[in-house]
Amino acid sequence: MLLAALIVCPLVFSGLCLLLRRGAAWRLFLVAGAALHLAIVLGTWRAPAPFAPDALIGLDAPGHLLLTLVSVLFLAVAIYSVGYHQQALVSQQVACMLAMLCVLSLVCASQHLGLLWVALEAASLTATPLIYFRLGPRSLQATWKFLLMNSVGIALALLGTLALGLSTTPVPGPISLAVGQLTPLAAGLDPVWLRAGFLLALVGFGTKMGLAPLQSWKPDAYGESPPTVAALLAGGMTLGAFLAILRFVQVANAAGQSQFVAFWLIGFGLLSIATAAVFVIGGTDYRRLLAYTSVEHMGVLVLGTGLGVAGSYAAMLHALHNTLNKGVLFLVAGLLWRLYRTNRTGEIRGVLARHPLVGVLLLLGLCATCGLPPFGMFYSELGILLAAAGQGRWWTLALFVLTLGVLFVGLVSAVLPMAFGEPVEVSKRPPQHPAGWGWRRVAMLLPTAALALLALGLGIYQPPAVRDALKSAAATVVASTPSTVAGAAGADLIAEARR
Amino acid sequence: MSLHTVMDAALVLILLLGLTMLSAGRLATCIRIFAIQCLVLAFMPLVTEWVHGEGVTRHALVMLLGTISLKVLLIPWVLLRTIRTGEIHREIESFIGFTASVVIGAMLAAGAFAVSARLTVPGDPPSDLLVPVALSTLMIGLLVLVSRTKAITQVLGYLVMENGIYLFGLLLLRQMPILVELGILLDVFVGVFVMAIVVYHIRREFDHMDTHVLEPAKES
Repeated sequence: MLLAALIVCPLVFSGLCLLLRRGAAWRLFLVAGAALHLAIVLGTWRAPAPFAPDALIGLDAPGHLLLTLVSVLFLAVAIYSVGYHQQALVSQQVACMLAMLCVLSLVCASQHLGLLWVALEAASLTATPLIYFRLGPRSLQATWKFLLMNSVGIALALLGTLALGLSTTPVPGPISLAVGQLTPLAAGLDPVWLRAGFLLALVGFGTKMGLAPLQSWKPDAYGESPPTVAALLAGGMTLGAFLAILRFVQVANAAGQSQFVAFWLIGFGLLSIATAAVFVIGGTDYRRLLAYTSVEHMGVLVLGTGLGVAGSYAAMLHALHNTLNKGVLFLVAGLLWRLYRTNRTGEIRGVLARHPLVGVLLLLGLCATCGLPPFGMFYSELGILLAAAGQGRWWTLALFVLTLGVLFVGLVSAVLPMAFGEPVEVSKRPPQHPAGWGWRRVAMLLPTAALALLALGLGIYQPPAVRDALKSAAATVVASTPSTVAGAAGADLIAEARR
Repeated sequence: MSLHTVMDAALVLILLLGLTMLSAGRLATCIRIFAIQCLVLAFMPLVTEWVHGEGVTRHALVMLLGTISLKVLLIPWVLLRTIRTGEIHREIESFIGFTASVVIGAMLAAGAFAVSARLTVPGDPPSDLLVPVALSTLMIGLLVLVSRTKAITQVLGYLVMENGIYLFGLLLLRQMPILVELGILLDVFVGVFVMAIVVYHIRREFDHMDTHVLEPAKES
């Protein structure tokens, strides 16, 4: 019941946006929709609803975790949008944002692989008008690339879903494509079609997530869309695609294909991180740099998932911090755009001196994304290193450390001069502050700072509730039985590392 | 004429229509060929169920109506409207010549047949031709997608690809809930609708629909 409300509530507000277009009503609807959504999500934590194994929708551990992340990020972005967007934001676009929240909730909640596909495709369709926001040729190119690559990628994923369905033929009796029904019977699945389905799904959903060979839409889409949308895409939409991959991993692991799964996940993960490292060096556009760090973090997520229980725990932790971090960085990018009217890293200097608060947030975001302690990505990346070492995968470990090092240097050398450095003469281009800059600034800074503090806080102290949620999500993915929370192995390693 | 013959004939027709599309020189012709392909496709669930010896189920009927209304009528209408509004070149421009693309398409189809000969399809497929034709249609769609220059032909390629996947889905007719199948159909339609809007904007912006001129924008 609560779950249905969760999916319907953003849709209702989206409809309201389309109906009542008068003035600034969209501000109210956007924030109210997001806040109500978060409230309901928190309510579902209080009273978890069990669901039948063949149910179409239901919240299991990974879905619940990712849903919460999406909801938190969306509320922050909603409040920020009130300050960031001027009247230029038409209500259709707000309606699209709310519709995206609706379909992303459906992605997180769907237990049936077909329904998951439908929701994920719908998510990219709601994102398309948002990317075509600035109008003009470059924006158009980005939109077309996003739409076509995502549609074709996800068509392959549909083929993968069908192949997985075909692999159930040897199992007697009617069986649907619900994860809860597939995993207990997984041992009887046809291995050839299962593998084919897994690979197609990895490539297809990987395109949507922005994994390496098919990541080229990402810098365009993130660079051209407004920062609010980019934050939602990088922190929310990618998680939806990641969840879809997790579902396939879940089934394939239960079917005893973990060797095969691990090989491809690690392969794609390392390739993505390496690709990101190549493109980050010498990047001059701030938002495109962020897009490549997103490619990197997606690689880390997939890599971690391929490294057993300990790795999966680290991947879940990484997903949590990736969402917070991408939120902070893209929202800061929006602030910088309002202050400097440029995305070029070379034209922004001395943010710390001129706008101390924005500078501090930028530095916090940079440290977090580079995986410096005490931010959570330090622990998650360390967890992945330990997991790789624990499995004796030394080549993986070496490549991972090497590429992370390159990324660190590339990012720091591009972003650090933006924060420090001599403030450039702004006299050439006096910043044109829109009307009501004072309250707008507060509305923009507040959610950004909240996300940054949340990331910092969760890095320093992890409440047991969060740890339990991460642990059971990882256990679901790897072992498919919560009783084998010998997955504590990963948590223990990380807890040990903290001491 | 047994039902199996009907099914095989329909599958061969789908494959031939795909190849014909590769050789067609005008956009409108291509779209009409696509509509005919979808029309044949729309009856496939029904035929599949007959082959399996089941009567006409509600599921197959709903899919028949859904496919006809969306893929045979609405999508071609949207696409034809897109090419009719405004002055544009109606001819198809391709990186590969028409003869060459038919030859490549035939080679892809042969490859698909060779691959599916090695695949063992579990259960009893309604026709031995189903998997090879599905894969060939998929490959032909991909070929159209990568070889043609206009945005609208790329949309068409995506749709043909989707048709291949739809054929493949016939193997799973009983496992997919009707809600999900309708969702897939609706997603494809809305996707094409959005694509048509973007195509319209591309044309207004550049005065044509070529996407390869869009490409050189710097990757900075």
